Amino acid sequence: MTPRAPSSERAHRAGAAAGDVDRRGALRLMASGVALALASCGRPPEEVVPYVDMPERLTPGVPLRFATALPLGGYARGVIVTSTEGRPIKVEGNPRHPASLGATDVFCEAAVLSLCDPDRLKVVRRGDEIATWSAFEAALLGQMEQERARHGAGLRILTNRVTSPTLLRQIDALLKALPEAKWHRYEPIDDDAPLAGAAQAFGRPLTALPRFADARVVLALDADPIGAGPGQIRFGHDLVRARQSHSAQEFLRLYAVEPAWTLTGAAADHRVALHHALVRNLALAVAHELGAPSPDTPLPPDAARFARAAAADLKARAGQGLVVAGRRQPAEVHALCHWINAQLRAPIDYIAPVDPSSMSHNDSLRALADDIASHKVQTLVIIGANPAYDAPGDLHFADALAAVPFSVRLGSHDDETATRCTWRLPQSHPLESWSDLRAHEGTASIVQPLIRPLYDSRTAHQMLALVGGAAAGASLDQVRATWTPQAGGDLGGWWRRTLQDGVVANSAGKPVTPPSAKLPQVQPAGTPNGLSLALAPDPSLWDGGEANNAWLQECPRPFEKQVWGNALHVSEIDARRLKLEDGDVVRVQANGRTIEAPVLVRAGQAADTLAATLGHGRTHAGAIGNGIGFDVYALRRSDAPSRWAVDGVTLAPAGRRQNLLLAQHHFRLDGEAEDLQPRLTLAELAQGKHAPNAPSANPPTLLPPESRDTYAWAMVIDTTACIGCNACVVACQAENNVPVVGPAEIAMGRDMHWLRVDTYEVHGRPGFSPIPCMHCEHAPCEPVCPVAASIHDSEGLNVQVYNRCVGTRFCESNCPYKVRRFNFFGYADGAEYANLGAECVRAVFNPDVTVRGRGVMEKCTYCVQRISRARRAAEKENRAIRDGEVVTACEAACPTRAISFGDRNDPKAAIQAQRAAPHAYALLGDLGTRPRTTYVARLRNPNPDLGEAQA
Amino acid sequence: MPQLFRPYADTVARSVLVALLVLPFAGIALAYWTMRSNYITGETVTLEQPVPFSHAHHVGGLGLDCRYCHSGVETSAVAGVPPTHTCMTCHSQLYTQTAMLAPVRESLANGTPIHWNKVNRLPDYVYFDHSIHIAKGVGCSTCHGPVDRMRLMRQAAPLTMGWCLACHRDPAAHLRPPEKIFDTEWQPPADQAEQGKKLAAFYHVDNKHLTDCSVCHR
Amino acid sequence: MTLAVPAQAPTSEHAGELERWTQPGARTYEDVNALVSAPLLDRDGWTWRAWWIGFAISLALTTAFAVCIFVVFSRGLGVWGVNSTVVWGFAIANYVWWIGIGNAGTLISAMLLLTRQKWRASTNRFAEAMTLFAAAIAGIFPIIHLGRPLYFYWLTPYPNTMTVWPQWRSALIWDFWAILSYILFSIIFWYVGLIPDLATLRDRARSRVARKVYGALALGWRGSLRHWHAYEILHLTLACLGVPLVVSLHSVVGMDFAASLMPGWQETIFPPYFVVGAMYSGFAMVVCLAALVRWGFRLQALITVEHFDVMAKIMLMASIVMGLSYASEWFTAWYQGDRAGRSLVVFEFTGSYSVMYWALLLCNVAAPQAFWFAAVRRSVPLVFLLAVVINIGMWLERILIIWNTLSHDYLPSSWRLYFPTLWDWLTMIGSLGLFALMFLVFVRLLPSVSMHEVRHLVAEETEP
Repeated sequence: MTPRAPSSERAHRAGAAAGDVDRRGALRLMASGVALALASCGRPPEEVVPYVDMPERLTPGVPLRFATALPLGGYARGVIVTSTEGRPIKVEGNPRHPASLGATDVFCEAAVLSLCDPDRLKVVRRGDEIATWSAFEAALLGQMEQERARHGAGLRILTNRVTSPTLLRQIDALLKALPEAKWHRYEPIDDDAPLAGAAQAFGRPLTALPRFADARVVLALDADPIGAGPGQIRFGHDLVRARQSHSAQEFLRLYAVEPAWTLTGAAADHRVALHHALVRNLALAVAHELGAPSPDTPLPPDAARFARAAAADLKARAGQGLVVAGRRQPAEVHALCHWINAQLRAPIDYIAPVDPSSMSHNDSLRALADDIASHKVQTLVIIGANPAYDAPGDLHFADALAAVPFSVRLGSHDDETATRCTWRLPQSHPLESWSDLRAHEGTASIVQPLIRPLYDSRTAHQMLALVGGAAAGASLDQVRATWTPQAGGDLGGWWRRTLQDGVVANSAGKPVTPPSAKLPQVQPAGTPNGLSLALAPDPSLWDGGEANNAWLQECPRPFEKQVWGNALHVSEIDARRLKLEDGDVVRVQANGRTIEAPVLVRAGQAADTLAATLGHGRTHAGAIGNGIGFDVYALRRSDAPSRWAVDGVTLAPAGRRQNLLLAQHHFRLDGEAEDLQPRLTLAELAQGKHAPNAPSANPPTLLPPESRDTYAWAMVIDTTACIGCNACVVACQAENNVPVVGPAEIAMGRDMHWLRVDTYEVHGRPGFSPIPCMHCEHAPCEPVCPVAASIHDSEGLNVQVYNRCVGTRFCESNCPYKVRRFNFFGYADGAEYANLGAECVRAVFNPDVTVRGRGVMEKCTYCVQRISRARRAAEKENRAIRDGEVVTACEAACPTRAISFGDRNDPKAAIQAQRAAPHAYALLGDLGTRPRTTYVARLRNPNPDLGEAQA
Repeated sequence: MPQLFRPYADTVARSVLVALLVLPFAGIALAYWTMRSNYITGETVTLEQPVPFSHAHHVGGLGLDCRYCHSGVETSAVAGVPPTHTCMTCHSQLYTQTAMLAPVRESLANGTPIHWNKVNRLPDYVYFDHSIHIAKGVGCSTCHGPVDRMRLMRQAAPLTMGWCLACHRDPAAHLRPPEKIFDTEWQPPADQAEQGKKLAAFYHVDNKHLTDCSVCHR
Repeated sequence: MTLAVPAQAPTSEHAGELERWTQPGARTYEDVNALVSAPLLDRDGWTWRAWWIGFAISLALTTAFAVCIFVVFSRGLGVWGVNSTVVWGFAIANYVWWIGIGNAGTLISAMLLLTRQKWRASTNRFAEAMTLFAAAIAGIFPIIHLGRPLYFYWLTPYPNTMTVWPQWRSALIWDFWAILSYILFSIIFWYVGLIPDLATLRDRARSRVARKVYGALALGWRGSLRHWHAYEILHLTLACLGVPLVVSLHSVVGMDFAASLMPGWQETIFPPYFVVGAMYSGFAMVVCLAALVRWGFRLQALITVEHFDVMAKIMLMASIVMGLSYASEWFTAWYQGDRAGRSLVVFEFTGSYSVMYWALLLCNVAAPQAFWFAAVRRSVPLVFLLAVVINIGMWLERILIIWNTLSHDYLPSSWRLYFPTLWDWLTMIGSLGLFALMFLVFVRLLPSVSMHEVRHLVAEETEP
């Protein structure tokens, strides 16, 4: 069928792998099947291979947990990694870490898969030949001789954003030794505008850290603080914390104005879609209300009303009002925000930038490009960065690299940049290396390895040591050297404490009191002419560095549920005008560059605005990421005012269509169907309005009541708290060995996620409800299974016994929630997608969870392995499992604590209150399935002055 | 017209009719019998090992405690097969030259582990936890038999699901007092009936939910 | 040469019988025997080209069927169009369709026997054969549609070392027993009916081998009065057993859907409605086969226009009942006032499969109304044509029962469509090939019309 377009033959190979249609294959399958059925006959002998010398602290079968930190855009998120028999298999948040608070995001969760990515660069390469580290060190030695001779005049170091104190110390030392050398750093997801704005307002760059928890009215100007990013977990958590109360006064009211949908816009109580250029006018209007002598600014009427209402609201809540602007807005708008916040005495901390270098990312990279162009660069050492892919198109960096006589690239993959460098060196994964990192708000953490490097790779620290002329040495020593002063006398003790906590005690950025913000001169924008393209980091791929991670590629984007690719989002108005439909491929032309992209029509997107995400269209990512989606970095210009908006875009139909791979096809709910995702305003709640199908309101039944003599596990999901970040989806995948099916299978309408997030639009406002198995007390899937593979256990779990399942799929047919997933092929066992069957990938499997074979049904188990672990632990101590002792993977991952799990028979359990809430509901409760997973309806706090018009 | 069939044709016809009725059931019976046979379950089967380690000598003779080698049995799901170092605690002094122990010495010398053949094997989808059984009064020999009398290790129980369930349905019959857990010669006393009840109460063992699928399968 | 004597002399109620189910040319026992057995015994007199062509085609399709099954077993169900929400597809639809066809044979012979419908005599034999083959093929599909077909036997309550048993609440288990017992019954019923004719063939056969084979199968039938007496009792008893069995079988198939929670399936009307549907498609298939047999073996004298006439009437009746059943589905959907149920009916008429749905209504309800006209009923080509149309319509109904409900159930987030693949189509057509193959072999080796019952009929009609 048509949708099989992009990688069908790849998938076919995968499909056939289940026993390539030959006799032997079939027989082998049969044999294994029989072997599974019978106790032991015909099984090949099994071996027990003990250690020669058992490591300390290790008991086979008992997992260990280590605190470390993972970078995103150079900033740390503190994590605790579970390791079984030396294999890191699961990442969870570190409660002590301010940028994690115990939760994770999709990127943390997927890190373990990146670690054993078969496409990682495994050996040193010189050009295309395989070389050795010693060969490289020799070559580098010679090169550095010359550099030292000319004080490093020809030496350039290029990195991503660096927050690692050790790395900064090393770079500093290097630059001291070679004063002529230069260090450039480029992060494609930059924060240039905010810093420049702060510089305008305060005379020096400062990082603003909004304290959402203390705010009660927030206006987001084209900003997405709770969208993917280093601060997502913290900001999401704080913002939702402020939206818990049931009183309109205490419940944070969120206003959002944005050109295209963001998670912040989805969470907002009021949102207007506005062209990115007009946002400044709205900012001016708000400033005007707050007494700025700003000129009259042209705004659409609804935006104007919105601005007045928001401004009034902000003014009314002095000390609790807060305005944030996004990276797309120019520096002066940020400066204006600082001025507004100053007027509002907004709850914001200002700290010195965690990333110390003052130059903007864009200028830094341009400077390097210029130097290369003028042949000033003899030696280029690139650590991690991938400019050949993610530099603005006008720099033509890929070609520029060729002009460098001696270029070195230390990186995880043999990617776009590496393949254009003289030397390609394998870099150790963060889970393999000693290092240190700072969080977006400054807190430092020690990065400790979970596993010895899988390949002969080096860390950035070792690389810099080599460049400095020393031996690579051990990163551990370099890191310890950095922190020795901190430790005071007793480094050993300090070190052990810090490693255990996962954070360096009181290392957070010290809040400074900024000088009074100057009111900047902001010229109002005229009505925009022509289309402009609003860019954003990809919610699953970020800047594209992780494009070869199959979990991320197959993680449905929050709004359109697209997987394995991106699309050009066109607003409904423009689509109608240009006669475009979903799947039409268009030529996008801007700045003399042209790319082809499939169209996806989006309601609620500003007119004359196109939207697309970065991070796609990789050419050298690896077997998973190559050729997925289209690359919009090419359209960026380094000399444009902003990297985040491309103006003057023209569209031309390319005359073909492309099937968009969507995990969900119907989004709009109206009429009775709105009950599927009920939403209440605080006012309605106060008037005693209830959500339909309260968990307790069960239709009568003839079936016997289930036993109450033991635990009754139940889950409550608060849809007010759910921001749609998908952390739970990937967490579930990592915990439960949920396989990836690949684009061809998705096109066939198949997927494997045990936990999906349903996105529905009610009156044009999107909302998210995570859908795990409901574990119905009267489960429709159970009576229909002929072999009792789908069956209840006494604790109310609706268990699926894989080894008993014969695969009639009657259970899924009869599941009203369609949460069961079937292995049409051996997705995890014999028919893996692309290279996911490689031996090294098997290392991520959780040994406590069966790896399901072909032809069996599977589904959410409430993480039964965790329940069982807790039960055994409790029974050894002859006690009951405590409330909160069992934490499911999705619950642990959730940044906003939207998911809670516990024993419904325990009157003191935390979930009781939520189940009893007036706006609690059971999805499709009227069917009498009595789901154990229940929901709390989405609460909103609209401004009565604005009414529902923009609610 | 000539005779088509000989008289015995009747007998043939009748026996065919009878066979049609009997054979299916006979087939099922045969299959069932085979499935329970040692040939399938592997019970009583003794495997060749790289080193002919004798539990009879070490446990029965020298009286080593199970936990000396299987150190994980009280804390972990897997009892654990000892690292080469454990063997060498004694054998660096005793029998240092015997050919029998050569593999062990090599293992230590080259740092290459010894590859033992697994005797008691459960399917991958069965999540058995030694520690909880030990903690709840199920002794080693209940499943592993009188290892102190086994020269080479052999599988002492059928290890079929039915066999597991028999105990999970009525654990009391197999429970023993804490001090007897590692006693390989323990036999249920005559009054195990009420002893078992007492022990079940003592260990808080409750068979009501022990047969849930999720107890062993995930 | 022995000739069987009719068991009972024609009784007075048949006196003055005007309706004739046999044409002149088949008015003596010898004529009947000759007509039916000639093709099997003295082959030289016959050209078998059409048969060979049919055989070749069906053999090819059967091979395709075998290949499909192999591919499904070796590569997995993924080769079909089934997806995460529409987890059932062609396999189940084909199963329901075939089992439906498998109903009519027994229905015709058993029910018509009990209701003393004399015209059954010349149609029941191949109808029963049809039943047997259709049921056998139907039995294949539930097994190949399993994710792990190796373990289909876990549906049987056999003693095992896991000490686990099937789950008796599942309609699939009821199904398993229904099919099994039905197939066993059909074999016995069909074979018992064959015995006297096998004896006739034994006696008429020339080659010794043929005599031996037919003789062995005839179990030494001599046509003695005692034999006829035993035969009549057994045949009647089986018929009495058969009728409830037929009804139960397809009621259970109906319950596969009715005993669920899904909109469009959860209907109390399903069991009876499935039985009628089965009879409907079954009769349609019988008509097709009757027309072919009649043409192939020149049995115009035995299978008369009258037969097509009555069968057309039955199909007309069935089509009306089907129409009512559909209507009742729509009504209940509206009346129970359930959001999903209502939205499903709208989807049926306007959704992605609506064309197929309208086609099904046309085939199953509208087209057969032509049978109101005697002219249509008595034109063999037209009846044949409409029968084919009805079979297509019934298949559409089977597939749409699955597609509509699963593609459009409770949560819009999981609404998905089914895209059949090449393997879907091949499996479906292949099964037709297997059926044709088995039927062709049957007509080549066994009397496709029950000689002794027709002789009985002749006796009644010729000796008032």
